Amino acid sequence: MKKYLTLIGVFLVFAFCLTTFSGCADKSAVVRDDAAAEDEAARRAREQAEREAAMRARDAALLTPQNIYYDYDQSNIRPDARDTLKHNATIFTHKRGNIIIEGHCDERGTAEYNMALGQRRAQEAKRYLINLGINASRMQAISYGEENPLDPRSTEEAWAKNRRAEFHLK
Amino acid sequence: MLMDRNYLLKILILLAFLTIYGTHSAAVAKVYIDIDAPGFQQFPIAICDFQNKNTGASAPSGFNAVIADDVKNYLDMTGIFKILDKKSFLEGVEPGYPEKIRFPEWTAIGADFLVRGDLTVQGKDTVAESRLYDVARGQMLFNKRYSNSSGDTKSIALAIARDILMALTGDAGDFDTKIAFIIKRKSGSDIYSMNYDASGMSSLTGHQSIVTSPRWSPDGQYLAFTSYKKGRPQVYLRNLKSGSERTVASFEGLNLCGSFSPDSKKLLLTLSKDGNEDIYVLNIHTMQLKRLTRSYSIDVSPAWSPDGQKIAFVSNRSGSPQIFVMDANGGGARRITFHGKYNTSPSWSPRGGKIAYEGLVGGRYQIFTVDESGGNLMQMTFDNADNEYPSWSPSGRQIVFSSRQGGRSRICIMNSNGMKTRVLIENANHLVMPSWSPLLK
Repeated sequence: MKKYLTLIGVFLVFAFCLTTFSGCADKSAVVRDDAAAEDEAARRAREQAEREAAMRARDAALLTPQNIYYDYDQSNIRPDARDTLKHNATIFTHKRGNIIIEGHCDERGTAEYNMALGQRRAQEAKRYLINLGINASRMQAISYGEENPLDPRSTEEAWAKNRRAEFHLK
Repeated sequence: MLMDRNYLLKILILLAFLTIYGTHSAAVAKVYIDIDAPGFQQFPIAICDFQNKNTGASAPSGFNAVIADDVKNYLDMTGIFKILDKKSFLEGVEPGYPEKIRFPEWTAIGADFLVRGDLTVQGKDTVAESRLYDVARGQMLFNKRYSNSSGDTKSIALAIARDILMALTGDAGDFDTKIAFIIKRKSGSDIYSMNYDASGMSSLTGHQSIVTSPRWSPDGQYLAFTSYKKGRPQVYLRNLKSGSERTVASFEGLNLCGSFSPDSKKLLLTLSKDGNEDIYVLNIHTMQLKRLTRSYSIDVSPAWSPDGQKIAFVSNRSGSPQIFVMDANGGGARRITFHGKYNTSPSWSPRGGKIAYEGLVGGRYQIFTVDESGGNLMQMTFDNADNEYPSWSPSGRQIVFSSRQGGRSRICIMNSNGMKTRVLIENANHLVMPSWSPLLK
């Protein structure tokens, strides 16, 4: 019986040691798990922030009028500008305020002629928006000619970017 | 009988010859040099250093050479003289008047004209006498006295140069003129002006906005221009005497400044207030506005003819920008440029008949002239630069234009036949739209 008790005692000591030891092991594991959880949380938060930023950007894009672009020495609305103008018109129907339509040209050609061409570009965009139901009295067409390029370089790419109409809500 | 007829014929021929010769010499008397004749060459002129009248020695201040050099510079600016180097002179210059001139020695070095002069400086009083000789005929053309009490020899030199030009061409040239132009900087653009001799540059606007299209009134009272200083293009009229400025066009949309009428009472404008870029005429005193063009196209850059009868302008009604001429009431528009796909910036010669403009050729803008009928097209600039915005001098003998190549920008003057280009100003900013004033004195 005494031998039995001793055996139990040894087992208990062993078990205690084991428990203590494994307890120590468990504790460090918990610490590691905490760090991982924090990393995970940060990652999730970051992803969430990125998603939100993307959504905000998308919302902003949805709520911000977009530029339209023109061919060289032309003021007619290109087929690829029609969807942009519809998009812009949707914004203007949901937002209050006056609309400034800026007409711009690339640097080629004569400044005075480009002033007139920029006016015509802005005017054509205005007409298109009137047809989409935007009240003419809210819109003002202003030409900046070749004076305010988006891209100052003298390349085809820059010129294409600079032949544009911009829409600003005031 | 046969003899009589021959005799009569001879008399008739002689009479005809005399008539032609008579008209010819009358024309010569009126304008000594016909610089508009085809094949006109620059006129070789020898200008001697002025002599001290009393001693014959050079004045201590060195004025004698200075005044002659200033006369040379002023004459050189006109583009019609070839100034001979004084090192080539064979004849020594003897003091005093009347002077003995060995004309063959001047003919030998190629001089057609000779300028001699004396100078007396007493305190601040400068008195000059200047004589112009026709070397070929061995004649004196004038002998004039000039005085200045403020020691300003430049103004004496200018007066002498003006008199030489008057004696030889019949007009005072372009000496008393200014050139307005735009300097475009990153901070914005403004109008500046400088004298014809590149002196006295000054700022006319301090808008630091988009400022374009400066136009002088022919009476020299006003400068009209377009400015965005209030956020959109409006036309302003600057009174050059008082310095006051007023808005003369602020309609909805585009308000662009065009040229004045010859009587300075009306100003041409490009407006888009009626939905289309069209040309209008505004009476600047009554502010009465009249529409001149009604085409569904861009009509811009109107320029009045010196007789007030016609207006040149740019229109894209035929698909690309081209120069058109219409009656001053807006009727009878017809296209006058048919070469090239981009012809703009018309400027009417003060002598009438001719229009200068810029056209795109080989990827560069170059200056051309064309008769108002559309004939006699001539390219004036050929270099590897963009040459734009021609504007005639009041004498009609010179054209100012802007020239841009890479990062270098210049305002240049050339003779109206495209020869003898000289640089008025050059810098790294963008210099555009030079506009030549009328005679300002």
